[in-house]
Amino acid sequence: MTPLAPEQRDAVIEVADVSKWFGAVVALSEVSCRIGPGITALLGPNGAGKSTLLRVLCGLTAPSRGEVRILGRVPRRDVGLARHMGLVPQQEALFDRLTARQFVALAAKLHRVHQPEAAVDSVLGQVALDPRDPRPLRTYSKGMRQRVKVAQALVHEPEVLILDEPLEGLDPRQRLGMINLLRQVAAEGRTVVVASHVLEEVERFGSRVLVIAQGRLAAEGDFRAIRELMDDRPHRLRIRTDRPRPVAAGLISSGAATGAWVQGDDVVVVDTVDVALFRHRLAPVAREQGARLVEVVALDDDLESVFRYLVGRR
Amino acid sequence: MAAIFFLILRTQVTRGRVLALGAVAAVAVGLAVAIDRSASPFDRAEAAYGLVDNYGLALLVPLTALVFGAAALGDPAEDGTLVYLWHRPVARWKLAASALAGAVAIAVPFAVVPTALAAAVAGGGADLVAGAALASLVAVVAYSTLFMGLGLVVRRALAWGLAYVLIWEGFVARSGTGPARLSVLLYARSILAEVAGHAPPRLGASTSVAIAVPVVLAALALAATAQFLRRIDVR
Repeated sequence: MTPLAPEQRDAVIEVADVSKWFGAVVALSEVSCRIGPGITALLGPNGAGKSTLLRVLCGLTAPSRGEVRILGRVPRRDVGLARHMGLVPQQEALFDRLTARQFVALAAKLHRVHQPEAAVDSVLGQVALDPRDPRPLRTYSKGMRQRVKVAQALVHEPEVLILDEPLEGLDPRQRLGMINLLRQVAAEGRTVVVASHVLEEVERFGSRVLVIAQGRLAAEGDFRAIRELMDDRPHRLRIRTDRPRPVAAGLISSGAATGAWVQGDDVVVVDTVDVALFRHRLAPVAREQGARLVEVVALDDDLESVFRYLVGRR
Repeated sequence: MAAIFFLILRTQVTRGRVLALGAVAAVAVGLAVAIDRSASPFDRAEAAYGLVDNYGLALLVPLTALVFGAAALGDPAEDGTLVYLWHRPVARWKLAASALAGAVAIAVPFAVVPTALAAAVAGGGADLVAGAALASLVAVVAYSTLFMGLGLVVRRALAWGLAYVLIWEGFVARSGTGPARLSVLLYARSILAEVAGHAPPRLGASTSVAIAVPVVLAALALAATAQFLRRIDVR
């Protein structure tokens, strides 16, 4: 058993053997993890169980089996725990007849924030929204709605912030602003859990990662370690060239491919366990063989296949 | 929990509901004007009583309470905004009570006021006006609580609520004492008859019972709603 990382020793969130099923559908299966201060990303494809896990963490639904504790308390039973938690749910629905200010003020009042008006102004400023905007939320763009959701989750300065796909709908500039904001929240010693199905997003958080797939915890650790795991898996690529047989033979003899077979007149499909080496040797091999490369396509580089691989190796 | 109360007021009073229920309420006042202009004094008193009883209490009040009661928590649960009320450090009974207060506050001007106004316009006298106001107020509170719980528990709460009002109260409750005890309408009618000095309805209850039972029913429904909020799966 590997020693616990510092953030795990000071776990704010403890998930112990949690399963959740809806009828015959198993959404989560025996998930256990400990999450400490800082940003932790929950990475997985759509339908993997990320949102279900977040809902269990927030007490929005009870686990079918196992237990969740946040700050040592059980979220499903302890209404007062919500005072220490902020949640950005995935769904877009808001109270559309309210303004952003009214919506965030509602959260502030329900959390009994001291000086709620000042807190609302401050948090709307943090997400780059105008507190004096008189327009109702129904007129807001997806990105603006997303930022209002983040504002209502932050207005009471929670110790634990849980966000389900918070970057969805944001343009690149807004994404950067949101990532910086969440980093800042984490730097204050708070615990931030972000669910995402986009690998690059998670990479930008530079965070600890929990990979979840098919309802199971497939991998966990520092982002770089997860990235290496993903890169080290076997890859399959399709190369279109005018001389497929010499290219296939050259790649195998150079050690860049573990297997290769020719399809038709101009296609060779190769397997490799070292993508970096393959990239490095492909062009020299083609040059040596006098071949012209037309196209190189990864056949299994989508997230689904990455997650399938990670689940399969556990 | 004033914040939730005012939220319900802001979000539930939509233009469509105002127009539809305003029209139903306006019909009550229109019928009262017609009664005032057309009938002899004796007939007018009976007609005014009949208007309050058969239109105000039997239709306007339950329909209005159904629309706003079922929507109070049912709409947020349905559209996914309940999470913004649920995931707060607010006791579930306070959440339910605040939503109920909002629903009742909206229903009063659409149901209680027009019913009492219709009694006055139709020339039913002060006792009928007082009876109409008290009976419809008790009924609005009871119906709103029941329908608020219904809106949270079932989909198509409007259809189920209409079935209760039209089928149970319209037919089944008239068939015997047992079913009548589960009819808010019969309690409201008993209050109306007692305060207005009218002959009590068949299967009716005494005034104290007619007030106490709907209040107890409402308290039970509120407790059940709070309990359901504790167990609900929130989207």
